[in-house]
Amino acid sequence: MKKLMFLLLASVLLLSACSSGGGSASSGSDASAKEITIWAWDKNFNIAALELAKEKYMKSHPDVKINLVENAQADIVQKLNTGLNSGTTKGLPNVVLIEDYRSQNFLQAYPDSFVDMSDKIKASDFADYKAGPTSYEGKQYGIPFDSGVTGLFVRTDYLKQAGYTPEDLQNITWDQYIEIGKKVKAATGKDMLTQDPNDLGLIRAMIQSAGSWYLKEDGTTPNIANNAALKKALETYKAMYDANIVKANSDWSQFLAAFNSGDVASVPTGNWITPSIKAEASQSGKWAAVPIPVLSDVPNSVHASNIGGSSWYVMNVDGKDTAADFMASTFGSDKDLYQEMLDKVGVLSTFKAASEGSAYDKADEFFSGQKIYADFAKWTTEVPKVNYGLHTYAIEDIMTVELQNYLNGSKDVDTMMNDVQTQAEAQLK
Amino acid sequence: MKIKAYMQRFEQQGLFFKLFIVMVVSIIAVCLLTSLVTIRMSERLFTETFSITNSKVLNQIKTSMESLNDSIVNAVSHASQNGTVKNYLAGGDGDSISAGATYFSMGQQMKQIKSNVDAYDVGVTMVGVNGRSYTSDWSYWPVDTSDLADSMITKHTVDQPRRLMYQYDEETAKDGKENYIIASKALMERTSDFLYGTIYVAIREDQFKRFYSNFTSTGNDVLILDSNGRIVSSNQDKLIGTFSPQLLKDVTEMQEQQMSYKNADVMGKNHIILSNYIPEYDFYLVNLIDRQYAVGQIINVRDIALICIAIVAAALLTVFLISRRLTQSLTRLVRQMSTITEKDFGNYVNVTGSYEVQELSRAFNYMLDELNDYIARLLETQKEQRNAELAALQRQINPHFLYNTLASIKMLVQKGNKETAAETINALISLLQNTISNVSETITIEQELENMKNYVFINHVRYGGKVQVNYFVSPDCMDYHVPKLIIQPFIENAFFHAFNEKGAGVIYIMVSRQDDMLVCEVVDNGDGMDGFSDSAEGSRLPNPKSKRQLFTGIGVQNVHNRITLLYGEQYGVSISSKKGQGTKVKVTLPLILEPMSDDMS
Repeated sequence: MKKLMFLLLASVLLLSACSSGGGSASSGSDASAKEITIWAWDKNFNIAALELAKEKYMKSHPDVKINLVENAQADIVQKLNTGLNSGTTKGLPNVVLIEDYRSQNFLQAYPDSFVDMSDKIKASDFADYKAGPTSYEGKQYGIPFDSGVTGLFVRTDYLKQAGYTPEDLQNITWDQYIEIGKKVKAATGKDMLTQDPNDLGLIRAMIQSAGSWYLKEDGTTPNIANNAALKKALETYKAMYDANIVKANSDWSQFLAAFNSGDVASVPTGNWITPSIKAEASQSGKWAAVPIPVLSDVPNSVHASNIGGSSWYVMNVDGKDTAADFMASTFGSDKDLYQEMLDKVGVLSTFKAASEGSAYDKADEFFSGQKIYADFAKWTTEVPKVNYGLHTYAIEDIMTVELQNYLNGSKDVDTMMNDVQTQAEAQLK
Repeated sequence: MKIKAYMQRFEQQGLFFKLFIVMVVSIIAVCLLTSLVTIRMSERLFTETFSITNSKVLNQIKTSMESLNDSIVNAVSHASQNGTVKNYLAGGDGDSISAGATYFSMGQQMKQIKSNVDAYDVGVTMVGVNGRSYTSDWSYWPVDTSDLADSMITKHTVDQPRRLMYQYDEETAKDGKENYIIASKALMERTSDFLYGTIYVAIREDQFKRFYSNFTSTGNDVLILDSNGRIVSSNQDKLIGTFSPQLLKDVTEMQEQQMSYKNADVMGKNHIILSNYIPEYDFYLVNLIDRQYAVGQIINVRDIALICIAIVAAALLTVFLISRRLTQSLTRLVRQMSTITEKDFGNYVNVTGSYEVQELSRAFNYMLDELNDYIARLLETQKEQRNAELAALQRQINPHFLYNTLASIKMLVQKGNKETAAETINALISLLQNTISNVSETITIEQELENMKNYVFINHVRYGGKVQVNYFVSPDCMDYHVPKLIIQPFIENAFFHAFNEKGAGVIYIMVSRQDDMLVCEVVDNGDGMDGFSDSAEGSRLPNPKSKRQLFTGIGVQNVHNRITLLYGEQYGVSISSKKGQGTKVKVTLPLILEPMSDDMS
């Protein structure tokens, strides 16, 4: 009797303990969801710019929640590819930063996954060269962000030793640059520039200055053989090596070290190097920025080009309206925000109106009072527009290898270009 | 008075309370002990099981770590056997073209070397004697390569150039402190033992963490300890980089004694420690299980406590009801029994309650039956004994009486008073006839009166008529039966003791019916006695040491005893007397019309 009662009691207790938790409700598709996520790389540059935009936007839209997620660029590319390939939008951000060289790759493969921003922003508000990478089939997808506009940073003190002033380097050709380099090396023992043989940024800058690219206008056909601008660029590149004015480096830190330690006399690269040059405070007053040289004998080559740079893309996932509104009202139109970004983060934007602001008009003591941002802003508008197409990096990988054969003299330039063309056509079919 | 009643109540309920308290204590003790033993057992079982599964997990982690080591070993040996790498690290500066070519081919080699460890997110850095360095990803391990040559990591590596060693490093990057585990090995020319550089494979601590982070949970921590006792990796971020010599002592001791697990205090908490030595790394893989937390997870103290309380409450309720019922019937029984002390043997108890109590009640009732039976038999025996005694006395007619009477008759005959002599003889005959027969037989008042008259006559003959006897008998009393020789002893008493001083007087014999009693009174106006109050409640008995009677030897005391024995306490003899005024003896008897059917033969 007692046993039975115990059993009964125990079973009642057990049963009452087995209570189940409720399931969570899943939210359906909601274009105007108030929580958005943004992916970007580089905490000190892109994320910092985002923070400013977020702060400003939140003042007028306190109900929106914006999550900023930092990922390495390679991770973002991989995650995007994985997510888009799988056909599910789960886990993808609302806004993602994509490097201009890669953007077409995504836009052409997955145009439906990105939000057409044509009616939210005006492409003409931004530097013209940005239109190529950020649009597809006449639709403006990307919100152009930073400018990769190039300049030639030079050490005025070394030039002086070789008998040059910065004025002598305004609007020169690459051939003239090499001549100056030889004299500088003779006078100071310093190399004129430093190059990572695995990174052909300088060649990209040279050909874009002539409005040419590795790929034809369609963005898919390799444009190597018989590309006059490329041929001239390669010849110029080899001429630099032949002149023995190139210091080799293997990575970013060695690249920085090369000019921070005073081993090279000039740095032809994107404006984004400015903070790194200024990082070596002891060299204040010894630097100047001049326009990038043009390719000799290439008629349409201009003193403006681009290396790197990226743009924002709104993805077609829940909350896309909120994300599009956020991007359009900040990066898409806010001149003052860009002033602030330049001032606080050092972002040189491609937003044309921004260059009229006071931050751009500031003289920089490091560069002996040169208004370098105004100069860069001016050059930005002059960057020739090219279509980076789908295969920039794939072709560059082939080119990097073949270039060595050219540099060490085992192939002449035409053979090398034809070989690259053949390999690229075979590989990119 | 109230307190007394309360105390009495408490005393009555004492049994129940004692029983109940013992039960309460026992049940709680059993519950607690069982819970404790169960918890202990499950704790031990849990520890055993946990240590077995976690050892397997540790082995799995170890295997993954070993495969990382294999990849790194491949990468390192690839690098150390590679001429391009050696050329890059040991060769001199050439012109731009040759330098560019060297850098380029180094880049290509680096890709191949890196491909060995591509499965893991690591950074490869090489530093050569010529000051050149090459890094697969400069941002991964943002170390200043020019300072690296002088670092402790390099010093340790160069000290043991043939060994791939793993060391802890932390770098302060732009976005905060980052912890690394650096695999390093000196690059050495085989033939000449010339050290031309060092290869470093940097593994971010969070990469290392991936080997085990799936296995950790709250209270179940993994940490990796180097041979200096420094925690190089842990899921507990705050521990990384700290030294724990005590833990190192524990794990080395475990390793020496080949213990599968150990209980010890680590970081102020009791932990189950499991460890595995990984010789490739010279690291100890340590698993710490917070004993309290882990046990708390499997043993829900709250539920156990609730179940215990519920069981105890239910048991107590049951015990309360059952023992209450048990003791209540006992209490009732006890109350009923207690009335026995009031000399009431006819108070039988009700046969109710539990089996035991019913049996007890039955036995008690049976005992009462027996007791009453015995008492009845005892009374009977006593009565018989008294009767026998009386009979014996009755049958012994005092010889003096006979002697004196016969002497008086002889005198009468000698005097020639034949008539009186004949009358006297008749009276004696009649007297003897009535007397020497069944002592318990009753006779009517009429017959008793006859006897008394005969007796008085004989006495008058012997002692003269100085004492007159008058009879006042209510006619309706004539047919009532009384025991024989009930009144005679009082008359005899009056004759021989009441008139010792006065010499003459009168004795009145009065028989009447009062209420339901027959009252016989023997009153004299003789000397009287002291010590007998006239009140109704006065001493009923005369001098208990009354002399034996002259006629039968039946004393006054015997008469009284006989009456109470035959008819009960309400009947008997009472005497009142006053010095100089006389004595009054009152005998009360029941009204009996039928002759008493006595079984005495």
